[in-house]
Amino acid sequence: MPMKGRFPVRRTLQYLSQGDVVFKSSVKVMTVNYNTAGELSEGARKFVFFNIPQIQYKNPWVQIMLFRNMTPSPFLRFYLDSGEQVLVDVEDKTNKEITEHIKKILGKSKEMLEKEERERKKLSHPATFGPKKYHLRECMCEIEGQVPCPAFVPLPKEMRGKYKAAMKNEA
Amino acid sequence: MLPALRRCRPGPVPLPALAAALRPGPVPGLCPGWSPRAVPARGRKTRHDPPAKSKAARVKLPPPVDPEELLVVLERYRQHRLVLSALRYRHGPGMGTGLWGRAEFRAEVLQRKQEERLAAAGSVEEQEEHRRLMAWNDEENARQQARREERVRREEEEQKRRKLEIAEKQARKMEAFQEEKEKEVLQLQEEAKNFITPENLEARIEECLDNPRNYNFAIDKDGRIVKRTVLS
Repeated sequence: MPMKGRFPVRRTLQYLSQGDVVFKSSVKVMTVNYNTAGELSEGARKFVFFNIPQIQYKNPWVQIMLFRNMTPSPFLRFYLDSGEQVLVDVEDKTNKEITEHIKKILGKSKEMLEKEERERKKLSHPATFGPKKYHLRECMCEIEGQVPCPAFVPLPKEMRGKYKAAMKNEA
Repeated sequence: MLPALRRCRPGPVPLPALAAALRPGPVPGLCPGWSPRAVPARGRKTRHDPPAKSKAARVKLPPPVDPEELLVVLERYRQHRLVLSALRYRHGPGMGTGLWGRAEFRAEVLQRKQEERLAAAGSVEEQEEHRRLMAWNDEENARQQARREERVRREEEEQKRRKLEIAEKQARKMEAFQEEKEKEVLQLQEEAKNFITPENLEARIEECLDNPRNYNFAIDKDGRIVKRTVLS
């Protein structure tokens, strides 16, 4: 299957999960105004091309809108749920600088992310087994140190009901 | 009698005695039991194919039920549901399962909701942090604005300088052109002194006749005159 697009690496899960901007829950909409030509908009263009997929992957509930060639200079605008609008001027900035900037002002800090991760881990117990949706393992035979699945490794005679019944009948 | 037990009553069943003899089962005598051979398994045929003629007389019976066990289990379930419905009735619609599936009471649910709401709204420190970050963002924007103005100003200067240069070059070109033209005019004036006019026609003719000139010579590539023939 051929790769699609100019930089198909942007479509890989690994690339997308490398995005480190996770917005605070108060950010609802992100709007990017940029120009398709011009040296000053170069950083904004690169940001839209490379970093916005990562951001959207990490924030699936944030609406992102792009406006092209509407204003002479590029900028970002965030709309928070309190009605506040945050304007970020990105003229003459590289895309890395832009991501750093928005991570600083509206991104969740690393401690907060780790705390959330810990909370989420607390909800599920890693030692239980059951349906794949809720547990890590489906059967006891998958757990290390337990009897392996008889589908792959036959059980010893002593554990099989056939043998035990035969022994009982003999005795 | 209970419907489950009624179903298991031996009726016009083809193999009641045989089945009973094969496997004593949970309840000897009362239940027909099932023979291992009559266990349904879908192998070759789909569900839409008609069953075989040999199975025309087959009677499908539900799994056997131990009446004592059944009574005990039903009683337990009845008590469990009684208790739970009583709890639900008493504590209103606040029943839910919390962490690890524990049933919790309305008070706990309300407390949990309040905590979440507080966390979402943001504590004082968070708001403070947010204000600080917004202020920093405004400063950054102001800095960017300053940089932009600087850049625009520089560009304007650059453009003015360029315009001046172009104007200068143009002026210089015009001057050079003018000089060229003047030189030509002067040269022409100089040559005009040697022109033959009707006035000095006679004098020039006399002059030419007095000074005969011999053009019978050759010239080589270096410009030296080569005279082989005798000058006449």
